Amino acid sequence: MNTTDQRICLWLVPAFAALLLVAFWIFPGFFPPMSPTMTAEEVAAFYREHVGEIRASMVIVNLCGISFIPFFMVIVVQMQRMGNPSRAFAYSYLSAAASGATLFALADLAWLIAAFRPERDPQLIQLLNDFAWIAFVTPVGFIIAQNLCLALAIFMDTRRVPVFPRWVGHFNIVAGLFMMPGALAMMFMDGPFAWDGLLAFWVRIGAYCLYLAVMFFVVRSAIDQQASEDRLAA
Amino acid sequence: MTRTATVAARPATDGRRLRPKLDQWICWWSIPIFYNLFGLIFVYFTKIMPPPSPGLTQDEIVAFIRTNATNLQIGFVLLALTLGLASLSSGIIVVQMRRMSSARVLAYAYLAVLAVAALPGCLFCGFMFVLAAFRPDRDPRILVLLYDMGLLSFVGSLGCFVIQYLVFAIAIVLDKRAIFPKWLGYMSIWGLVTELVALPSWIFRGGPYAWNGAISFWLGTAIFVVWEVCLVVSLYGAVKRQPLDEILA
Repeated sequence: MNTTDQRICLWLVPAFAALLLVAFWIFPGFFPPMSPTMTAEEVAAFYREHVGEIRASMVIVNLCGISFIPFFMVIVVQMQRMGNPSRAFAYSYLSAAASGATLFALADLAWLIAAFRPERDPQLIQLLNDFAWIAFVTPVGFIIAQNLCLALAIFMDTRRVPVFPRWVGHFNIVAGLFMMPGALAMMFMDGPFAWDGLLAFWVRIGAYCLYLAVMFFVVRSAIDQQASEDRLAA
Repeated sequence: MTRTATVAARPATDGRRLRPKLDQWICWWSIPIFYNLFGLIFVYFTKIMPPPSPGLTQDEIVAFIRTNATNLQIGFVLLALTLGLASLSSGIIVVQMRRMSSARVLAYAYLAVLAVAALPGCLFCGFMFVLAAFRPDRDPRILVLLYDMGLLSFVGSLGCFVIQYLVFAIAIVLDKRAIFPKWLGYMSIWGLVTELVALPSWIFRGGPYAWNGAISFWLGTAIFVVWEVCLVVSLYGAVKRQPLDEILA
């Protein structure tokens, strides 16, 4: 079977990741991340002052925030090649990836709506800003479910030459664990678990980036393996 | 494709023979685990179920949020961590629906519609109440807005579940292999009806059709719980009866 479609979806990852990194760098509230302890007036002043950068960065996120869906679907296709008893984990993974993507879209909307009329009542700007940060940082359940399903599928892969090596399963579980603290940002105004904290923000985003980078290479090997198996069988 | 797959995917060990349905059983267990967590989150911690009344005054709504703030946060942290379990239940149901003689389009529709439902039907409510609990000193009018947005999205996101029940019912009724019992298909029509009787909760602020009313909430929830239990039991039977040669083929 031709693997060109999968390779295209794979190479969309570095292309879109580069654009998202640009957006991340332009957004004025990530270095350091905006604190939940800012007052409504401070948040509103921040939006008035940086409205151009906020719009520029979040328009890029609007276009590219959903861009890893094709890559996750390559993983679904590779999971279907595994020697698993059924495709239950592949379908679960597909469902979790789709649900998870909606959250990036939601967070992005809230940031852009706040920046649309920065002269709005500061309480409302603060509300939209809280919404954006909480929707961006806290709902980690879907990516954790994705990682768990992929890990279990890898451990149950009975092929003589597995689709992914077993360490990828362990790596998925560890990456999921490092993303978990994000959820606690619903409760904390400061400290490592606040949305600007070391664990909820930096460790979680770092884990996600590292995860994507590593998965890019292992998925590429899996596609190569599929192509060579297909050549042998042809 | 079929030929290459059988050549390449021949199992090296007999793992599949030893535990041939392990992946489906893991997904199956996710359903009772998720609904126990769901009860813990929505009934015990956040007190969103049974819902507080839409007829509360502004002061009462503010009091509900301020006295309940920490519990709302704990509950929705749990939800943010575990809502992905719902995806695993879709996974096993799609595997079983694909075995039916009815078309696979219904299985894929089931998968897609529940992937959509997670946000409007569940997590959005969590976000609204967390935004309220995060700063309970917000303007009371904003707290009332968040309260309405949270409860109306939770009780009133009906279409996703209408389509879920509809495709599930059609699939079972058309299926000639009897993967699920026929009565479960007819029961799913009842589930669909409970979504329809919740429609007036978008208008009424009191009485049986309000979002906490006897019909819109209690009847709908009672039928949902019975349906979910029947689904879990039928799913258990479907996996149990699935012939091994179908798996090891």
